[in-house]
Amino acid sequence: MLAAAVGLLTAALPLFAGEPAGLPPAPGTYRLDRIQRVPQAIVLEGSLIPRLLSHYIGGKITLFGFFYSYCADPEGCPLAWDAFEKVRAEIMADAKLHGRIRLVFMSLDPAHDSPDAMKGFAQRYEAGGRAVPWHFLTTYSGFFLKPLLRGMGEEVSARPGEDGVVLNHMLKVFLIDKEGWVREIYSSQTLDPVLVLGDIRTLLLEETALSP
Amino acid sequence: MKRYSRFLAVALLTSAAGGSFGLAAWADETCLSPYTASLVKGQEAYLHVWTLGEQGVGDESDKLVTIDVDPKSKTYGQILSSVSAGGRGEAHHMGFTDDRKYLWAGRLSDSRIFVFDIGSNPAKPVLVKTITDFEEKTGYAGPHTFYALPGRMLIGALSNTKTHDGVTGLAVYSNDGVFLSSHPIPLGDGGDGYGYDIAINPKKNVFLTSSFTGLNNYMRPLGSVVSDPEAMKRFGNTMVLWNLKSMKPEKIFAVPGAPLEIRWSLNEGDDWAVTASALTSKLWLVSRGVNNEWQAKEVATIGDPAKIPLPVDISISADAKRLWVNTFMDGTTRLFDISDPAKPVQIYEKVTGKQVNMISQSWDGKRVYITSSLLANWDKTGEDNEQVLRAYDWDGKELKLKFEVDFFGQKLGRPHHMKFSGPLSKASLETPVHAALR
Repeated sequence: MLAAAVGLLTAALPLFAGEPAGLPPAPGTYRLDRIQRVPQAIVLEGSLIPRLLSHYIGGKITLFGFFYSYCADPEGCPLAWDAFEKVRAEIMADAKLHGRIRLVFMSLDPAHDSPDAMKGFAQRYEAGGRAVPWHFLTTYSGFFLKPLLRGMGEEVSARPGEDGVVLNHMLKVFLIDKEGWVREIYSSQTLDPVLVLGDIRTLLLEETALSP
Repeated sequence: MKRYSRFLAVALLTSAAGGSFGLAAWADETCLSPYTASLVKGQEAYLHVWTLGEQGVGDESDKLVTIDVDPKSKTYGQILSSVSAGGRGEAHHMGFTDDRKYLWAGRLSDSRIFVFDIGSNPAKPVLVKTITDFEEKTGYAGPHTFYALPGRMLIGALSNTKTHDGVTGLAVYSNDGVFLSSHPIPLGDGGDGYGYDIAINPKKNVFLTSSFTGLNNYMRPLGSVVSDPEAMKRFGNTMVLWNLKSMKPEKIFAVPGAPLEIRWSLNEGDDWAVTASALTSKLWLVSRGVNNEWQAKEVATIGDPAKIPLPVDISISADAKRLWVNTFMDGTTRLFDISDPAKPVQIYEKVTGKQVNMISQSWDGKRVYITSSLLANWDKTGEDNEQVLRAYDWDGKELKLKFEVDFFGQKLGRPHHMKFSGPLSKASLETPVHAALR
């Protein structure tokens, strides 16, 4: 009989007896893939003077997310903002992390989110700027933004809302190493500050291991 | 007119920061990766069918066939597009990228992966890339399951390039088609190393894999396999629970008889998944048991296992109360009440073909689609080798045939895996913000 020919096992076989499954792994015990490079783009921070996006990517670990200032989707920008806040607080509380990580928000609506408006957000976080700077970027127009969105795989569409236009976008937050490689992409389901901080510490351990 | 509330985000930040952080609710189109965007929760517009080419049928090539499934359309039930991939390589399963703009489709014999642009115009998919380095990069063969991760594709294989048995692993590619990493399925300590499906529970930072058989078996005629006792030993008998973040196996479950498709409950707060074992004809439940430990438990029988009905595909309803099961050998579509997942009860069955394989239901559960082909060398022969897509309405009591497409009659081939697309939204293209982004 077909079924009888199948070899039968009889028990669940834990690989790591006694350890609950699904716990965040200890930093440095796992590897993060080098997923993609961050494309170059022209961005603005606080003025109309153009800057290269690479200025905000290399040299430090970067947590990068897209947002727009009037976003109200509870599973979109507010969720990302909350996670960035928590990650920032943890970094500020750990002196060993100071100066090694930056946070970057990039606007999805340059027509609305002017450099001046972005400056207003940045000023709220100036107090911890040395330990963990938080940059709020925008650009001149959709013409400059679209190649960046395409290069980062960020999908955006617009639809009419009750009080105006609503931008639909997939929540994606990018963890970028100091060499400019995207090493993790978080969605609304995985943007857990505990996991993000574990990944940051994993990258820092990797830097230490690679340093001469 | 756009609402100017530039500091709304700050207000939300202020209120959100005081609350506890929780992972967002998730749901999917009943069986997609939870990372898939733009779920089709209304009427699906298009059905994409990954189709095996057949010698002497049409252009004889594997192809992606797209069918109009919107009842309000003038071309309802008709074929809108057929894109040949070139050659025959045992076309099998497909999966969307996380942004749902591309559909990856794999072949089990030559390990080629075809990437179709279905986002630009889902009515007319375009083949934009062919990935040919899967075997070279991974050492695995038979890319089977395509499961979206943010910005990446997680691929579950069935076999390997050296022995062609079922010892295999998982591979991660970027959405651009660049190989990133491979992860062997555990062999030893209770692990058989075999692979098949992948299903992620992001809230619990875990995913499950199941196990089928290797190239030596799935490319061989079914009768020959069944009559060979040694070949019958080479089927998967395990499921593996992995840590999603570390991509490392954490627990192996004994699930005899080739557990295939895996479906997590989509209900908020649920932490259980079901699978069906093909050879032993059982439903299994993976859930938390004593001491909150994950466990796998046999919970129901499908048909008469002595008659080997061969359950091949399952489809869970969005509310996780119903589970469709297709059994290949008796051509039967069954519905189980899984309101209590530990005690599934069959509540309906209907013979829907001479052989039936894949089954897909709409988000609202009102429409059900089936296809006929299992594997080219495992399909029935002669009069029983019908190759069809059948579309049904489900009113809660009866499956009512709406239309069918004869894939041999239309000179297409053998229909296998199905995926939905929604209508192309024109409204969003006319808004000023989107125009600014263009």
